[in-house]
Amino acid sequence: MSFKNLFIEHDISPEAKAWVQEEIAEQEERYRKIEKQMADLEPMREKWYQEFFDRLTTTGFSADGDMKVKIKPEELPVKPKEHKDQVIWKYGTDSVD
Amino acid sequence: MARPHIEPFCDRDVNFKGMRLPGFAPGMSYKMLSFDVDTGACSMTVQLDGGYRQKPGFSWSEYEMMVIEGELQVGARTCRKGHYFFVPAGYSMPEISSAQGCLLLMMYNSGEPSHEEATEHHALAQTDLYHDVDSYLDIPWVVGNITKPSVASGCMIKLLNYNPLSHAMTFLYCMTPAFYQDNISYHDCAEESYHLWGTSWMMQFGEIPTGGYFWRPAYINHGAFASEFGCIALGRTDSKLFNYFHYNPWSNPVENADRAEARIYQRDPLLYKWMLSKDHNHPHSPKDFEQTMVRRGDELGHDTKHKSDGHRHDHWHGHHHHDHDNEHHHG
Repeated sequence: MSFKNLFIEHDISPEAKAWVQEEIAEQEERYRKIEKQMADLEPMREKWYQEFFDRLTTTGFSADGDMKVKIKPEELPVKPKEHKDQVIWKYGTDSVD
Repeated sequence: MARPHIEPFCDRDVNFKGMRLPGFAPGMSYKMLSFDVDTGACSMTVQLDGGYRQKPGFSWSEYEMMVIEGELQVGARTCRKGHYFFVPAGYSMPEISSAQGCLLLMMYNSGEPSHEEATEHHALAQTDLYHDVDSYLDIPWVVGNITKPSVASGCMIKLLNYNPLSHAMTFLYCMTPAFYQDNISYHDCAEESYHLWGTSWMMQFGEIPTGGYFWRPAYINHGAFASEFGCIALGRTDSKLFNYFHYNPWSNPVENADRAEARIYQRDPLLYKWMLSKDHNHPHSPKDFEQTMVRRGDELGHDTKHKSDGHRHDHWHGHHHHDHDNEHHHG
């Protein structure tokens, strides 16, 4: 990410460098835990997807603000064959195989 | 590399850790929400113990801060929950203290947290960028349609900070009870949120409660959206927020980015062709003549070079520009 804002160059102390490495390691552990939690949510997510498709064909798709457009059942997407359920992408586009 | 996708995470699930970085006073503890592995920039929930006292000083990185609970004394001012601060790098804040303790959200945008004791601003500080406001009491809610296509009614915002060049934003947002929006969204920007109060739901990630958080890189699907009893959160983007809505839950970030590119081609074909026709992509960015043209003030010895936040100041950050045939380095 980049907020593209101000940063003043400075010397980083050894304590700060060690702290950064510690935080990186802990974040990696946190990330793996989240990744597993989200993988475990797959069965519930499949149900939510189906409910979402049901609403799209009955109450409609939120196209812009409160404008809703009903989607015809034949326009709904087909789940790709051998699709691996994935909602966590560590570094976004860089994480796609 | 930047910050990885952290979603969802709830700070109530982990314990506070004592802040050990040099410069910070004892009595400060934190929970790390997300961390930029390249720069050390990070977002943290911070607890200041009762009696905490931090001497005046500045940070080498700009940072943003919001009082979540309790009272924070900033110099002679008492700041209560909802008070927001944007503090440029090198801007010296007065003594900060808390008699009874308080909970803060602190976001360092461009480097690791730091505190240098000082009663004067650093020479390179862009002091005019500093601002603070009681976001709960002094700003009205406005409808959330700041971009088109827009969110459904019932999602409202209060804009707290805006970068005129990148269009990066910091804002409060709320969802009214029974809010829902039936689409899947993604953006060209990273998005961050911390739930100050209440619970919302997203179809990919489930519920995000009070203390819930996410940092989401660009082009990742999120939504449909709902909130049964309403919520209020602090949100941020690192560049312009554009809502790409769709209803295919199985698209991946590359397919989403390709679709965003296709939309530019369909919407701005001349611009698209111009961008692609360049045989050389400058690694910094395309040239913007407003940022490089010679200005009359230059001849008087004043540095008028443009900086990325839309202001002009000394060219301090150590770019070494080389011939285009050579590598580019940042100092």
